[in-house]
Amino acid sequence: MVAPARAASTPGSARRLNQPRRALVEAHVDGSPRLVNRAEVTAVLEEWRVVDRWWTEEPVSRRYFDVVLAGGEHAVVFRDEEVGRWFSQRGV
Amino acid sequence: MRLGEALATCPSLQLVDPDPAAAEEAWEGIVRRLEDAGIAVDPAAPGCAYFETSGVERLYGGLEPALRRALRAVGPDWDARAGAAKRRFAALAAANVARSGQALVVADEHAREFLAPLPLNLLPLQARQQQELADLGITRLGELAGLPGGAVAERLGPDGRRAWSLARGGSSRRVRGRKPPAELFETLEFPEAVGNELTLRRSLGVLLDRLLARPERGGRALRKLALSARLVGGGSWRRTVTLRDATAESARLRAALGPKLLDLPAPAVALTLEVLILSESVGSQLELVQPEGAELREHLREGLRQVSAGTGSGSVCTVVEVAPWSRLPEQRALLVPRDD
Repeated sequence: MVAPARAASTPGSARRLNQPRRALVEAHVDGSPRLVNRAEVTAVLEEWRVVDRWWTEEPVSRRYFDVVLAGGEHAVVFRDEEVGRWFSQRGV
Repeated sequence: MRLGEALATCPSLQLVDPDPAAAEEAWEGIVRRLEDAGIAVDPAAPGCAYFETSGVERLYGGLEPALRRALRAVGPDWDARAGAAKRRFAALAAANVARSGQALVVADEHAREFLAPLPLNLLPLQARQQQELADLGITRLGELAGLPGGAVAERLGPDGRRAWSLARGGSSRRVRGRKPPAELFETLEFPEAVGNELTLRRSLGVLLDRLLARPERGGRALRKLALSARLVGGGSWRRTVTLRDATAESARLRAALGPKLLDLPAPAVALTLEVLILSESVGSQLELVQPEGAELREHLREGLRQVSAGTGSGSVCTVVEVAPWSRLPEQRALLVPRDD
């Protein structure tokens, strides 16, 4: 089972490393991010898709972007295409 | 009765997963309540305990008040009953015969008469041996006790000889109360059920490190441990391990406990490691030359202790890889808090 990307962890117990966090993203018409948490995206370094567990009742379909923000910060964000929401998984 | 037969007889039958950890916990609660009442208990098996009343008879005003106090200590949720006799087996038989909440006292001079009409299933005999005796027309303890001991031993072997001895009242060994167990345990809850051996072994390593770092241990080595798990979909699993030589070496403890994880019947949602018995002494042979890196590890541990003291419990974590092959980054590793 894949825990929902927004699942919270219980204090004191083991928790996931790299747990996705909700992100505020505005996208271009082609789906690539334009603003991530109100910071402008200056470059998209890489883009990839992860489609997994499609045979289960909890399929995973994500479109990832490795981006550089206006402040020089690196971030990895993805759009969860199952729930239609954006999450960040590194940076921001 | 077979499961299919039971379901055919009673279609609304609900099957309950075995929960040995919960049963053990409930039983431990009962034993502790008896100990709180001043009774030194020798727990024989979950649901059956022996104790001597001589130490508490003056406290409670006699044998029967002491037994009533013991029944009250067990609590109303359990169908408790007590039996008292000079010998263990007679006391066990009396408790089996007593009604719920009743304490039955059997005087030693009447023990044989009391045991005589009772059925053979009170004896620790296999079903095959019970059947063999029944085929010979022996169905009561008195009938078995009346046979020559040598003949019973010849027919049924050492188990039969022991049963014959019990049917005549058994020996009057002293009851020795247990040592109260050490209250040292650590639990790791997983965000989702874990079934792969690698993750479970790493989690066990984390639990061991945490247990060994507990100040209550006072430098003493571990003699007996219990490893238990809460299983996905309900139920639990528990194994106890008694070490031939008490040790506090993480590697030896891992080697002793690790193979037990292979017996897990289903993925676990939580793993618990509990110390049941600690050794008495704290002395151990020191090493002449410390292994390479030991000093560095000690410095690192001290640094982590300082960070933890400054930032609070749970702020220092270990990364435990659980599924490094996963395509989803959050599935690859867990952050496990450490408070050593």
